[in-house]
Amino acid sequence: MLTAPVSSAAVRFETVAAQAEAARAQDREADAIRLYREGTHLQPAWWGGWWYLGTLLYDQDRFSEADAAFRHLLLSPSQQRGPAYAFLGLCEYETGSYGDALAHFRAWAGAGWTGSPELRDVAVFHFALLLTRDGRFVESLYLLASAAPRLGDTPELSEAMGLASLRLRYLPEDFPPAQREAIWLAGKAALYAAQTHEQFDQADEYATRLESRYGSQPGVHFFRATLYGFELKKTEAENEYRAELKISPNDASSMVALAQIDLEKGELIEADELTRRALHGDSKDAEAHHVLGRVLLAKGDLNASLSELETAKQLAPGNPAVRSHLAMVLSKLGRAQEAKAESAAFIVLKNKEDVMASAEVKLGEKPREKIH
Amino acid sequence: MRKAPLIVCLAVCGIGGTLAAAQKTPAAPKPSLDQLLQTAGRAREENHDEEAIRLYRRAVALEPESEQGLWFLGTLLYEKKQYPEARDVLRQFMTLRPDAGPGWALLGLSEFETRDYRRALDHLQHAMAAGMGDREELVQMVFKEVAELLIRFERYDDSLDMILKMLDTKAEQPDLMEPAGLAGLRLPLLPAEIPPNRRELVDQAGRAVLALQTRHNEEAESEFHRLVTSYPNEPGVHFLYGAYLMGARPNEAVPELERELEISPTHVLARIRLAEAFIAQRDFDRALVLAQQAIQLEPKRASAHEMAGEALLAKGQSADGIKELEIARAGDPAVSRTHWDLMRAYTAAGRKEDAELEKKEIEKLQQSNSSSDPSAGGEIPHDRATP
Repeated sequence: MLTAPVSSAAVRFETVAAQAEAARAQDREADAIRLYREGTHLQPAWWGGWWYLGTLLYDQDRFSEADAAFRHLLLSPSQQRGPAYAFLGLCEYETGSYGDALAHFRAWAGAGWTGSPELRDVAVFHFALLLTRDGRFVESLYLLASAAPRLGDTPELSEAMGLASLRLRYLPEDFPPAQREAIWLAGKAALYAAQTHEQFDQADEYATRLESRYGSQPGVHFFRATLYGFELKKTEAENEYRAELKISPNDASSMVALAQIDLEKGELIEADELTRRALHGDSKDAEAHHVLGRVLLAKGDLNASLSELETAKQLAPGNPAVRSHLAMVLSKLGRAQEAKAESAAFIVLKNKEDVMASAEVKLGEKPREKIH
Repeated sequence: MRKAPLIVCLAVCGIGGTLAAAQKTPAAPKPSLDQLLQTAGRAREENHDEEAIRLYRRAVALEPESEQGLWFLGTLLYEKKQYPEARDVLRQFMTLRPDAGPGWALLGLSEFETRDYRRALDHLQHAMAAGMGDREELVQMVFKEVAELLIRFERYDDSLDMILKMLDTKAEQPDLMEPAGLAGLRLPLLPAEIPPNRRELVDQAGRAVLALQTRHNEEAESEFHRLVTSYPNEPGVHFLYGAYLMGARPNEAVPELERELEISPTHVLARIRLAEAFIAQRDFDRALVLAQQAIQLEPKRASAHEMAGEALLAKGQSADGIKELEIARAGDPAVSRTHWDLMRAYTAAGRKEDAELEKKEIEKLQQSNSSSDPSAGGEIPHDRATP
């Protein structure tokens, strides 16, 4: 008497599960959804059931319901959680819960960017959109550029790259319509520059059109300078950074980039001044501390350099270049053991640059630019 | 302003009328659901929209698969410009009634308003495929939005085809000048995204394109001339004019297309059209150089391979020419010109079976597209790239 209901429920579950699988295989989505709902109700630890329920609902653009299904997978064994994080991020993006979405994409990255190639492409794309919205333009462009050779010239990708390139903290669905042409032109330029065989002629053509039409807008010269940087046209890049600073006198990114060019040219006085100006605006700007550390190293002020580089390391522990420069300063100060440790850290981090490293490693820096 | 009559039409004489009959609700529906739907229906008919929305919400909460409840709730929310909510309700509705063309239309229009353009385009095209009956105003709205979205997704030639179809119907047309201008200039913007200082350029191009499409040739000539004179340094303008001249006076097209390349040095389609012009002039060396440049810039562009193949064949380099044409065929199998070229090339090379296969492909295409021998009619390969 006592075991009969349990057995009956188990039998019912087996029947429902088989019917759900059959309905899904036969593309009877509505039936499959109903059956997966029933099956997961009968057996809440049926992870496969939650997974298919979530994906079926997601495919029907029913994002709130899909989100609820995928949440159950967070209780599943760890190997099943990874793709669920990605789907949760996607569902929350669609329902406008951007903070939660970003957190779930980070969890997905931390879990190793798992999932099918299609899921990875879609999730990386939306992750990047949210990073742009969060002001983390470099990280966003890193993700988008890594996808560009695979995805090719798609309107969505170029628009996303345009937003990040112009450092506009918007999503594709909420930027001011009047900015569309500038975003398109910047995106095309960035997309061509990001192809496996960099197509700089095409990139330059779009960038020139962008500059001729929107050269008085903040961010345009900075983007042009960045592009010139990729093309190793340092004089042109320098001119563009200076043009950006005329339009946006407090643009820390341009100051730091210009300081790096100065440093290479040995113009240490301006480099020192620019990095300090950048830090005056934002004392937590890791790259400004890093470049100032290098300037002080070049000047021979080793202790001050060490202090700046230590700060940069604290703010951006995943940046290999900081560790490399730290090793140099420590070595010059005769602190051989510490220098060796920093060199080892540099090698580890450098090796991770070419792989899909975890979000903490790849995307650990805080946003520098706050345009809006 | 424009949407109210549409909804009235949908609600009163359209899909809503058939839904009650099509309800999947069991034979003995819950009385409370029936009552709710009836009361909501009365409120809607008496234009008490807020009350109707409230009641339909209750009905849908009671029975989430009430087609009638979902449909009228979705249409009312759309009418009230509550687009995100309308979209969500209509998505639910479409899972129950994927055959309902007007449903796809309203869902796509809601997504257009929430700027979810990819889904909007998909769903509006679903509406076109499923059909929207005799709801002329809805059909026109859907066609126009599709034409605009195709432009934004850089499918300019597909958009021009849509515009041409709309112009060919006898129905009263929405204003197509801006979409025509944007497609002609190959600017991937929606009309609302045109910067104020470029609106006149777009309108001018639109006037020229529309005049040509409606076969007002003298007016088209005059509008194109005005466009080129007013905007001599604007990217896209000389290409547009050159593409027009390719049909009207091919010899005059070359300088325009060359001018476009001075302004837009990496313009792929200008190179392809120039190559086509040089092939017509039997200047195969120049044609080949341009086609090969186009391939280098955009390796997947089928029409570039087509031009390269034709130039190579004409220069006597049969094997290389066939190779290029086969790439073109793989990239875009629906172009009869490629099959004609290949049929002739295979025949000349003694490959009779391959030539026969091409002949069959041509016949198939002729049946489906009423294609003709391009050597007689001058079909433009692959990319129309012209108004």
